[in-house]
Amino acid sequence: MMRISSTQYHTTMNTALQKASYRLEDILQKMASGEKYSLPSEHPVTTVRMSRLYREEAALDQYRDNISALQSRLTQNEVYLNSMSDDMLSVRDLLVWAGDGSNTSEDVSAMAQSLQPLLDSMFYVTNSSDAEGRYIFSGTAVASPTVSYDATAPVGSRYTFTGNTEAQRVAVGPGVTQPSNVTLPEMAGMLNQLERVLTTLQTPGVNVNDPAVRADITAAMDSLDEVIESISGRIAGLGGAQNILATLETSHANVSLSNKQAALTLGQLDYSDAAVKLNGYTTAVQATQKAYAQVSKLSLFDAI
Amino acid sequence: MSIIYNALSGAMAAQAGLAATSQNVANVMTPGYTRQGVLLASLAPYQAGQLSAGSGVAVPALIRFSDGYKSLQMWSAASELGQRTTAQPYLTQLEQVMGDEASGINSGLDAFFGALNAASVDPTSSPLRQQIITAADALAQRFNSLTQVLSNQRSAIVQQRNITITQINGLSNDIAELNKQIAATQGTGVNPSALIDARDNKIDELAGLVALQVVEQADGTRSISLRGGQPLVVGGRAATMSATTNPDGSQTLQVAFASEAFILPKTGLGGELGGLEDYETKTLLPMIESIGDMAEQLATAVNAQLVAGFAPDGTPGTPLFEYDSSTAAGMLRIRPGVQGSDLAFSTSATAGGNSENLLALIALRSSTVTLPGLGVVTLSDASTQLVAKLGMDSQQNQAAMDTAQTVRNQAEESWKSTSGVNTDEEAINLMQYQQMYQANMKVIAVANELFDSTLALLG
Repeated sequence: MMRISSTQYHTTMNTALQKASYRLEDILQKMASGEKYSLPSEHPVTTVRMSRLYREEAALDQYRDNISALQSRLTQNEVYLNSMSDDMLSVRDLLVWAGDGSNTSEDVSAMAQSLQPLLDSMFYVTNSSDAEGRYIFSGTAVASPTVSYDATAPVGSRYTFTGNTEAQRVAVGPGVTQPSNVTLPEMAGMLNQLERVLTTLQTPGVNVNDPAVRADITAAMDSLDEVIESISGRIAGLGGAQNILATLETSHANVSLSNKQAALTLGQLDYSDAAVKLNGYTTAVQATQKAYAQVSKLSLFDAI
Repeated sequence: MSIIYNALSGAMAAQAGLAATSQNVANVMTPGYTRQGVLLASLAPYQAGQLSAGSGVAVPALIRFSDGYKSLQMWSAASELGQRTTAQPYLTQLEQVMGDEASGINSGLDAFFGALNAASVDPTSSPLRQQIITAADALAQRFNSLTQVLSNQRSAIVQQRNITITQINGLSNDIAELNKQIAATQGTGVNPSALIDARDNKIDELAGLVALQVVEQADGTRSISLRGGQPLVVGGRAATMSATTNPDGSQTLQVAFASEAFILPKTGLGGELGGLEDYETKTLLPMIESIGDMAEQLATAVNAQLVAGFAPDGTPGTPLFEYDSSTAAGMLRIRPGVQGSDLAFSTSATAGGNSENLLALIALRSSTVTLPGLGVVTLSDASTQLVAKLGMDSQQNQAAMDTAQTVRNQAEESWKSTSGVNTDEEAINLMQYQQMYQANMKVIAVANELFDSTLALLG
């Protein structure tokens, strides 16, 4: 049986109250912040897990931003390509009309005049640039125009392709990239053919039934057909790319949702548990205080 | 006549008992007070003869209720507690700074790589490039502010160590002085109990500062030495502890006693000094080195990748980061005057829109760095693992601290059980000695009446 000194009661009470206040303060802080763990030392392994989840979330957010920026860029490309395709179909109609043997040279000269603005339109759209002046269809050589025009060269070689065919790749997933640009190396060749046929049709006294003229018109139409097909192929490719991006976006969204749920499970305070603990600690403090009040009244000096 | 002398001795013994009890009751709240009692011994008869019962009671000495072993336990518990308690505030502060998601290095790295990622949509865009420069600058600032916190902690440790050494020297001197006084009382016959209590209190304080070995000497003095045997107090003489700063910023401690000087070992000191040493060598310095290494390896990798590429205007790439280990506030910086148009994302001098180098920069996120204590980790995971290790160190220290507190509480309780004052007990003693006094007075009265009766006979 151990002997108890008078100050032992007070020391015990002090220690108990201090421990209880510490626990109460801790629970109150956690309830205010909603987090189960305020410091890494409370659960180091969970801290590591949550930190890694946050890193993945940050990366996914960026990928999703990139995907939506890329989607608008691809849509823009598609709009330009559609405009070019429309122009090319109009040119084709004109050439078919011009190839009719019953046309006079004045007729075809007038047709050729309607051909020029279409040619210019296609040239300008091919050389589209963004807000900072970088050419969209030049591949990675964005400082130089896609197609350059040299008026001093002979007709049929005035348009040259001055871009390249390299792809600009955008990161849309971990280790996953998607090209964001379309390159148009075939436009220069086709524009040269069209300029040649335009010049031919505008020469005074041209006869449509002349085999040389016919050959020019046919060559131009063949070139046009090839390019229309390749542009249509590109537009289809853009559509395919949009589908891939939509799939990736859905996949990222799902992973992100599951990450967020995991983070909640790991790190969010269980309020019902906390409320029960708070109750428990408060009761313990009250009981200790009442017991102390009783015990400290006892003293033999009151009796003698 | 021996009746009167017996009763007188009884009354005086009762008075001595009452005095001791009053001293105990007066000191019930005094910390470190050891209760005292009277030792009563009955005296053998002076006169020869079968009918002589005895010559009363004597108080040869006062009893001091103390158990030397319990004191030793208290002191060793104080050292352990001091060691754990000192390191904890530093650990908690570092945890709070490094573990904060919003302001830590991890979210800075996220922002930097996020900006690089965003630029891959349009590598030639000026606003996106500027965002990268801004994110790089913000990342450098986070490294710097963390390094500043670590550096401040190191200064604080040096200060705290110096203060602790001053306290140790002060306490050693006080203990030596008290030792002298206690030894002197053996000659003068004064009760040394209060002096012993004062000295033991000082030893307790000292034990919290550094781990001690205490040996009781025959003359009542206590000799104190460190765990490694270096003397702090011998009899009435005290040693002096001092710290010298080495060129690398660490401190070497030494103890000078008489004409000898002892260099103290780095580990195993115990108490506050040991706690500071533990924290500095096991947690703080490796962390400083890790953060510095991480910053250096990040800067080197990014710069090397940039220099291998070409800016949009075709010029070869230039570095983005500068690493300077000599200052804490400017350890990692972006190169002054760097602009978005300097960033070399292209792998070809002629194709300004090429983003292959940019994609290589983005891939640096999963490149590896080598950190002390962790080994090879990926750049994106390095800070997480450093925080986790810190968390585990802190958790261990907290658990050890709780244990040390419990052990100390129990040691104190045990000490009080022997030496503490119980007022109920003293009240009983008070009653008993009072009754003893009254009974002895009554005996004197009766003896007086007997004497008067005898005188009356003679007329």
